[in-house]
Parts: sequence; structure tokens; C-alpha cells
Amino acid sequence: MKHSVPVTINGEAQELSVEPYRSLLDALRNEMGLTGTKKGCDVGDCGACTVLMNGKPVNSCLVLAVEAKDADIVTIEGIQSAPDRLHPLQENMMKYGGSQCGFCTPGIIVMAKALLDEHPDPTEEEIRFGIAGNICRCTGYTKIVEAIQATARELAVSRKDLAP
Amino acid sequence: MNMAVVGKSVKRLDTVGKVTGTAIYAGDVSLPGMLHAKIKRSTLAHATIKRIDAGKALKLPGVKAVLTHENVPRVLHYGSPHPRSASVTRDQYILDSKVRYWGEGVAAVAATSEEIAEEARDLIEVEYEALPALLTVEEALRPSAPLIHDTGPGGNLVLEPVIVSRGDVSRGFAEADLIIEGDFKLGRPVPAYMEPNVCLCQWDGIGKLTVWISTQTPFMVRGILAEVLGLPLHNVRVLVNHMGGGFGAKQDLFQNEFLCALLAKQAKRPVRMELSRKETFLSGRSRHSGRVWLKQGFKKDGTITARQARVTFDSGAYGSHGPGVTAVGTAALTSLYRCENVHLEGRCVYTNTPIAGAFRGYGVVQTYYALDIQMDEAAERLCIDPAQLKLRNAVREGDLAPSGHPITGHGLEDCIRRGMDEVGWPQCRRQAAAPAAAQAQQENIDRRLRYGWGIGCEMHGSSAYPGIKEQGNAIIKMNEDGTVTLLTGATGLGTGTHTALAQIVAEEMGVKFEDVAVVHGDTDVVPWDIGAFASHTTFMVGRAAQMAAVEVKKQLLERAAERLEAAADDLEIAGGMISVKGVPNMAIGVREAIAPRLGMPAAHLVGTATYHPTKSYSFAAHFVQVKVDTQTGQIEVVQVVPVHEIGRVIHPVAAAGQIEGGIQQGIGHTLTEDYVIDPTDGRPLNSSFVDYKVPLSLDMPPIRTLILETAPSAGGPFGAKGVAEDPIIAIGPAITNAVYDAIGVRFRHYPITPEQVLIALRDCGQSAARDDLAA
Amino acid sequence: MRRFEYHEPRTLDEAVVLLSEFGGGASVLAGGTDLLVEIKEHLRRPDHLVNIKKIAGMDQLSFDSSSGLQFGSLVTAREIEVCPAVHRHYRGLVQATNELGSIQVRNRATIAGNICRASPSADTLPPLIADGARLTVYGPDGRRCIALEDFFVGPGKTVLRADEIVTAIEVLAPLPRSASIYIKHGRRKAMELATVGVAVSLSVGDGDVCDRIRIVLGAVAPRPIRAKRAEEILQGQVLERRLIEAAAQAAMDETRPISNIRGSAAYRRDMTRVLTERAIVQARETIQ
Repeated sequence: MKHSVPVTINGEAQELSVEPYRSLLDALRNEMGLTGTKKGCDVGDCGACTVLMNGKPVNSCLVLAVEAKDADIVTIEGIQSAPDRLHPLQENMMKYGGSQCGFCTPGIIVMAKALLDEHPDPTEEEIRFGIAGNICRCTGYTKIVEAIQATARELAVSRKDLAP
Repeated sequence: MNMAVVGKSVKRLDTVGKVTGTAIYAGDVSLPGMLHAKIKRSTLAHATIKRIDAGKALKLPGVKAVLTHENVPRVLHYGSPHPRSASVTRDQYILDSKVRYWGEGVAAVAATSEEIAEEARDLIEVEYEALPALLTVEEALRPSAPLIHDTGPGGNLVLEPVIVSRGDVSRGFAEADLIIEGDFKLGRPVPAYMEPNVCLCQWDGIGKLTVWISTQTPFMVRGILAEVLGLPLHNVRVLVNHMGGGFGAKQDLFQNEFLCALLAKQAKRPVRMELSRKETFLSGRSRHSGRVWLKQGFKKDGTITARQARVTFDSGAYGSHGPGVTAVGTAALTSLYRCENVHLEGRCVYTNTPIAGAFRGYGVVQTYYALDIQMDEAAERLCIDPAQLKLRNAVREGDLAPSGHPITGHGLEDCIRRGMDEVGWPQCRRQAAAPAAAQAQQENIDRRLRYGWGIGCEMHGSSAYPGIKEQGNAIIKMNEDGTVTLLTGATGLGTGTHTALAQIVAEEMGVKFEDVAVVHGDTDVVPWDIGAFASHTTFMVGRAAQMAAVEVKKQLLERAAERLEAAADDLEIAGGMISVKGVPNMAIGVREAIAPRLGMPAAHLVGTATYHPTKSYSFAAHFVQVKVDTQTGQIEVVQVVPVHEIGRVIHPVAAAGQIEGGIQQGIGHTLTEDYVIDPTDGRPLNSSFVDYKVPLSLDMPPIRTLILETAPSAGGPFGAKGVAEDPIIAIGPAITNAVYDAIGVRFRHYPITPEQVLIALRDCGQSAARDDLAA
Repeated sequence: MRRFEYHEPRTLDEAVVLLSEFGGGASVLAGGTDLLVEIKEHLRRPDHLVNIKKIAGMDQLSFDSSSGLQFGSLVTAREIEVCPAVHRHYRGLVQATNELGSIQVRNRATIAGNICRASPSADTLPPLIADGARLTVYGPDGRRCIALEDFFVGPGKTVLRADEIVTAIEVLAPLPRSASIYIKHGRRKAMELATVGVAVSLSVGDGDVCDRIRIVLGAVAPRPIRAKRAEEILQGQVLERRLIEAAAQAAMDETRPISNIRGSAAYRRDMTRVLTERAIVQARETIQ
């Protein structure tokens, strides 16, 4: 029996109509057509399906869509502030080579955003700790870490610029 | 040579889609009326199917098609699509009345939802008659062992043994002052790409099949589907947009593609089949596990006088790339370190275990692991520094490579010397204390930690020649506004292929990188391509693209010559501007030169090229520092300095990315990754990321990548050679040699577990040459 | 995923009624990071899921120096991990949550869920037992309190009845001059199921004398165990190296580990000794 689930996705109010056993991941990808979030394992081991739920990064494969009622969900499609303006994380992930096959990239960018929101000035150790639940098989993580570090530096500078 | 675009880390063409989540992978495609398919899998490693009954499944509402071995075409095929090549084995049916490994597919269902497909799958009844399961090479080679296949040379061999002989090993050993023998045991890592296997099949009303798929070899998929399903090639269209990694393993067709296409045909609706992560483990492809017995003779001064080896690979239940991997891995032992007298034998054996196939490094990961560790051992016994011993014997200009071609340059020597400089070798070796006092205090058990340095060397070819006679194709057309479109069959695994090709075209033509677009991934449109593997794409397709660019440039300059009233030979193009050489102010833009004029339509400028590569070799030397906790036995890689010689770097960041990623996989191979089979029933024990342990962000060391361009290849675009497979080959022996430096224990297997380290430390006093305690 | 019905009770009584009605055919859904995995892997086949996250009053987290740490069963591992009071007073619990899955998992997984799942290798169990945790359980007959140490029966099995729900957890207030440590052994630095887990809760009196010590071992027996023999060796004694080594040896002798893909029994025993020693030393150094 389908449940009606009101939820905010990337800033827009939506209404999902889903069976109770449908994961949030599948609802995002199939019901909403937001295929940016990926299914790497479906059991919470790889982080490819990471989305923000009420500001916190979670594995959307382990959240039932019905559990997301009234929640605020942000996916990779909602990371940038404007259609033509990428988030610095996205720019730097490209620039520093942190994305090769790209399958882990959406999950990593969402996780990194959550990390920087909580720790604007992370050490390398803290960055690696923060993305420890995201598996990448292409990059060896070196350039992912560099991209996040560069973003932290840039955001710090622009915060300084904005300070009175 | 100062280049405008090649050698620069330009913004990649494929990454905007990836960082925004708009890049389409095969699993992101959805079609109206699409059904979902699931495969029923065997729960025995070796059995015949006495009875299979899908009656109950067919009755379940929502089920639209079911396949068993009784209603699929019985066509023996290669599974791994390299037709007419010696690399692969023709021993697979779509579905058979026999199963040969735990988890092999025995039936498939398409239904209106995944849940219904799963329920239907569980309703299919199968009665097996168990056969003796041969779970090790030893069991499979016993004369009394049942045959796993009716095809092949018999005796559970995938192919006739590979024999490579040169010179006279007996005389070589007779001349030796030191002879070393070793038995190396190699575990079973898997590629573990992040995107599980997936495909979507749709038939149109007139019998044309379209397949969206994650594959490295779209034309091979087209070819083998057409062959097995009895279709002409123009009635099969394969589409690949973005792929979530492959590492060689996605060269094969699995059972999925055939089943998906046949379900779609039966149901008359599109069918989507996505493997779960567990199924990707069960029915994917692993690296060949096995043993390498290696014996070498050395003179006192370190010269190698003879080399003898017996390579035995476990193919798993089907042959897949067994022949290619065995041939390449075995033949690789003729080289890297020069030796005139070699006798090598390679075997590949069927067992009732998961299928081994192509995986980055293709047999050479295994054989060079043995070779480079034994070199380290020889150095110690001869009282020569390992780097010096390797330098003395390194292949160089003129030596014959495994392919039979002469080697150009001194790439390996260059890598070793550069690395020695960078890390301060040999002074860095045998450190007993932590590098810094503060760190020592933090560790809290500083005397229990031992540090060591090791070197691992390798060489690898760019192209699969001569095992496969490849060709690279390119078609380039210039659009009427001066922009350029490259059509290529090359697949993008994520390595940055299409960006590199665009850079090569832009460089050759003198146009801006931003003005080059790449069309790929549709077998109806792009030129034939053998597929992305064997580190050959940049080398082979890049060269073809360069050649096609030369063609178009010629046509363009002829047109411009008219406009500039000069001879075409006197013109040059740079940054999209065509000028007379030496007279820069007499210039017109490419756009102007080609634009339609009054009464004259857009020019048709098209260049095509085919390139048949032979071979070039890239080299690497990895310098690795490890830390061993002598209380827990845990080995940690502290830092890696990989030095790679690749002729010419097209895109520095992408090249470094390949190296760093290959190191991650190699660290996994050596220390934490092993796909374990239950020895009693052949069931895999770790088909998930919880217990199949790939290195995570916290497990990876700092990596200081150095790339050399000292031995460019005349056959590659601007001298470029491949880089993708080299890093995973060099890192393994480097780690194991570093462990020896740290604790004086020589391991001859991978992966090395902490428990094995502890046991070896305890037994250390007994015998220095004693083999490791492989599980 | 297998099909099931879904329920969102608003009160504890509603939840208990549902659980009683469905008997063994219902599962409680809190964090879901174990349950949903087990359903997907066909290890559990509930026909009904009872989501308890809409029940009020189970998400508080508070500390005071006399009654200790108290938190509801909906408090997540991540909330515990970042709580300043837990950092200050229950370091072992922080160390355990640091290594429980990933941050993404910890934002959903509840401590109560980790407890009720009762995996012998669960990370939060040894430090919670070492620090003297107690559970409040609600059922058809009302509330009862259970010492965490007495909660586990075997792998995946607790004394909880099918129609009962854990509602709160409390941990004793820390003694003066005390510290708790948890060390986890795994192949990698994250995402591991422990091969061995050692928790030590230590309080020290004058002259470096051990006032009270609890040593709890995970992943080396069907349920977390207290190494009582090891504790006896140190209780009331000066904490010198020789005694600590003897205690570590005794702890090792109290284990009954199995061999599986994560490690052999012999290696687990060995690591119990190594990590027990390290944990005691670390606890002592933390106090100083």
C-alpha cells in the first residue's frame, strides 16, 4: 500500500508516493528522477548514496522513504547555489582531479560539504576521517583530499572578505 | 618541446557531469514500460541441474518473462569478447544444465518491480545433483578429477601450457655463483569497481536491439551479442555514456547481457538488470590467484645468468582471459631484468571457484611480485644494494621486450635513479625508530614499531600486441565555425581518455582545446574500437586521432592557402589562428578560413585514420616506507614515492591520478584484500565491502608522484605511452621488500596478514630463507 | 527489499500493543542501519516494521556529575560521539562511536540499537558495560531496569522480550581520578567489525593504586565479557608494569574466541593480551 510522503528535496516541497519498503535512495532515483545519487552497495558500506537529511549526511540506502516525511533532503543536484554557479567543492574536485570514474563523486561531495559545514578548517586527518565511509576505487583519495583542502582555504578567504 | 595543450592539466570534458550528478551512467537510464530482472543463482559449486521448474514463478502477477537453460539458445561463446584472438576462451553458454561455481546463474526473471522479480526468483525450483567440487588447482589437476568442461585440452587445463624458452638455462645455472629458488603464492583480489554491473535492453519493432551498458568494450558487446543471438551487426546498437570503473574486468560479457536481451525479447518490453554488490562479487571477475615457482642464477657481481619459472594460475570456473593472462604474465618474466637464458612455463587451470578474468596488470602483477622480491633477496645474499642490483640488470635500449620488440631508452634505470635521489637511498633504510620524537611519543610503544624502505620495479606494455593485433581508429570533422568534432569508439572508464584525445587533436591541429568536442559511446555512429584495456587508449587511439588531425589540418591549410595567397606548406596554425610562418600579422582565424562564403557551402573537411600499434613499454620504480607494529603484526604503508617513465604526459593530473589509484589497489592486494572461498563447499565468504577490505581514506599514505619523460615512444602521440597498469604492479613488491627491511622477514605471498607477521617474527630466528606461512 | 507493512506509533503503549499483536513478525525500527541491511540480505524477514522515532521523550541526552550520563534510546551514535560531556567523562564510549561504521551510519544508528542487536563485536557494548550502564525497558507490564552487563545471552540474543522496547540508557557518574578507554582491533582504520574490542574503566587512588577497574572484552566470546580474573589481579594494587602484563595475560585466558574470516581464534587471543595491556596503560596515563 503506498504512503504519501511530504518532503523537501533540494529546497522544493515534494510529495512522494511510495511503498513502505522503498528506500529513500530508490525514491530519489526512480520516483524523483534524481539519478545523481548512486547505488554502490545498497547496504551502507560504501557511501555512494550519501545525501543530507536535515543537514546531516546519511546513507540514503538505509533510510526508508517513509522515514523522510517532513524532512529536508539535499542531494548532489542541490549542492550548487545557482544553475550556473558550481559550489567550490565541485570546482575543486574537477580542478584537482578528485573525480575519475565519478561514481563515488556525488556521495563524496555531499559528505565533504557536511564536513566543511561542521569543521570549516579541518586538518588532513579530519578530512580523511570525515570521508572514511566513502569508498573510492579510482583515485587513491589523494586528490579528493587536496580538493577538499583547497575548498576549505577558499571558503575561509571568502568568509574573511565578508567579515565586517 | 613546448606544447600549447598537451602536458597541461586542462579542465576535463567529463567531470562537470560527474560533480553535478548529471552524468548519465547505464543504471540511470529509464524507459517507459521498463521491467526489472533478477538472476537465480546456484548454491553449489559444481552440480548438474536435474530439474528446473519456473511454473510457480510464471504464475506470480507482474512476472513477464522467465529464462532457464531450456529456453535460451545453446551457443558456446567466449564470454570475454576478443573474437579470433588467443587471449580468451570459448567455454560459456548463456545458461547451462550444469553449474560450475557457487553463485552461477541458472535462471532469470523479468517483472514489473524488483520486489516481484525477487519473489519470482525465489519461486523457481531447482533440483541439483552435486558433483565433486574441485576447489584448488591441486584437486583439479589430479588424474582422477572430473572434468569441469568438455572443451579445451583436457585435464582441467584452460589452454595448452605456455612455454617460453631462450638460450640455455642449464648452462646458465652452471655458470652461476648463487642460485635462489622461491615459491610464491598469490591470493585473489577483485577489482571492486564502485558501479555494479548493469545493463538495459530494448528491442524495436523491426528486430533491432539497443543496449545501454557499463562496459569497456562496446563493440565487443555488439559483436558477441550479434553472434550469439543470430543478428547482423547493424541490428545491434550499444550505448555507453559514463562508466563507474572497470579495471579490466568489464571487458567480459557476464551472463547478464544475454539474459537481459532475451528477457526483453520474450516480454516485448525493455528490461533492466542491475547486479547487487553481492552479485558483483559472486559473478564478476577476480584476479588470477595461483603460484609462481621461480629460480634464478647470479654471478658474484650480480649479473643474472639464468631464470626458470613455473607459473600456475587458477582460472576459476570459466576460462575468460586465462590464456591472455597466462601468456602475458609468463612472457613478462623474459624481461624487466636482463637474462639470456630463460625457460618459463605457464599453466591455467579450471576450478569450481569464482571466475578469474582481466584485471589491471594482467598476470604481470603476479609474476613481477615474485621476480622483484627474489631480486631483493639476491641482493641481500650477494651483499649488493638492491637498487644497484636492479640498475645493473635493468632492461635498456636494444634489449628484447616480451613482445619481441627492442626497448628504447633507459626508462627503468631513470626511474630507479630518480627515486634513489628523492628518498635518500640507501641511507633511509633500516630505521628502527620513529622519524620524529613527537610521533614516537604519540605511538606510545615506540620500540615496538619498526620502519623500513623497499623498492618495487616494473615495466608494462602500452597495447596488447602481439597477443592481439589491435587497431585504433579516429574520424575527425571540422564544423563550419572552425570547431572540431572527434568521433572515437574509445570508452571512458574514468581515466580521462576523451580529454586526452581532445588535447592531442587540439595540439596537432593548432586549435584551442575548448574548440574540440568528442563524440563517443554509440556503436551506430563512432568508428570501431577494440575497447579500453591494456593501457593502450592514449597510445593507440591517441595516435590515430593525431593522424586524423594531420589529415584535417592539411585540408584546412589548403583552404587557408587560397585565402592567404600563400603556399600551404608555408602556413602554420596556433591558438586557432592560421598565419604565414614568420609573418604573424598575416593571419586569419580557422573559423574564417573554413566559413561558408557567398555561393559556397560549408566545407567538408573530414580526416580518418587507422593506427596499428606495435608496442612500447612504460617503466616504474616505487619507493615505499612501511611501519610494522611488532606486537599486533599490522603493516602500515607510511609513504610512497612512485617514479614513472611514460614518454610524454598528456594530462599531468590525470596521469598522477592513475598512479595514485593503482597504488590504492596494490596496497589492498598486498595487505588487506582477498576474496576467500570456503574450502568445504566453494562458497565465497566475503562478498561485501565489510569483509572484502579495500583501503579507505584513512588507510592511504601520502604519495609523492614523479613522472619522467626520458624515453618517449615514436609510436605514441607526441611520444606518449600508457600508465594505467604500471602502478599496481610496482607497489606490491615495494611494500614486501620494505617489510623485509623493517623486520627481516621475507614474505613470498600476498596478502600478508598481521597474524602471519606475528608468526613469522616468532619463527624468525629459525630460518632466514624459510618460506612464508601462507594460509 | 522484501515487502513489509509499516507502522508509526505515537506512544510507547501503542508501540507495545503493536509488538504484542505481531509477535515475532514485527521488528522495531530505530536507526535502521542493522535492520534494513538484514532485511535486504534475507537474514530477517519481518512482515511489520514499527518505527519508534515518532514517540516523544526518547531523544534527550544529559549529564550531571552525580547521576551520570542519561540518554534516550533514540539518541544516535553521532550525537554521543560529539557530546562534550561524553568526551570529558566517558572517553571509551567516544572512542567506540568514532569507529562505529561511518559518519553517515552514525547519524542514524542509535546506541540502543547497537545494544539490542547484541553482536558480540559491537563497539559500544564493552565501554558501556565497563562504565556501569543500565537500561530502562518498557513493556506490557510497565518499566524495568536491567544492568547492561546482564542484558546479553548470546550472539544476537538478549533478555528483551518481543513486546518490549528499550527506552533509555544511563551510565554511572565517573569516579574522581578515573578514565575509560576503548581500543578496537581491525584490519583497516575505519568501517571495521572489531576482531577484538577492549574497554577499560579505571579509577586510581593515592600512590597509583588501582581503586576500581573494569575490563570488558568484545568479539572474543558469544557476548561481551568482563575479564574478572584480570580485574582481581589489579584491584587494590599499585599499577606497575609486571602486574599489568599479568592482568593482560589473564584477560587473554578468559576469552573463548572463534575463528572466522576476520581473524583466527589464536590471533584474537593474542590481541586481547596486547590491547588489554595498552588500554590499561592508556587509561592510567589519561588520569595523570
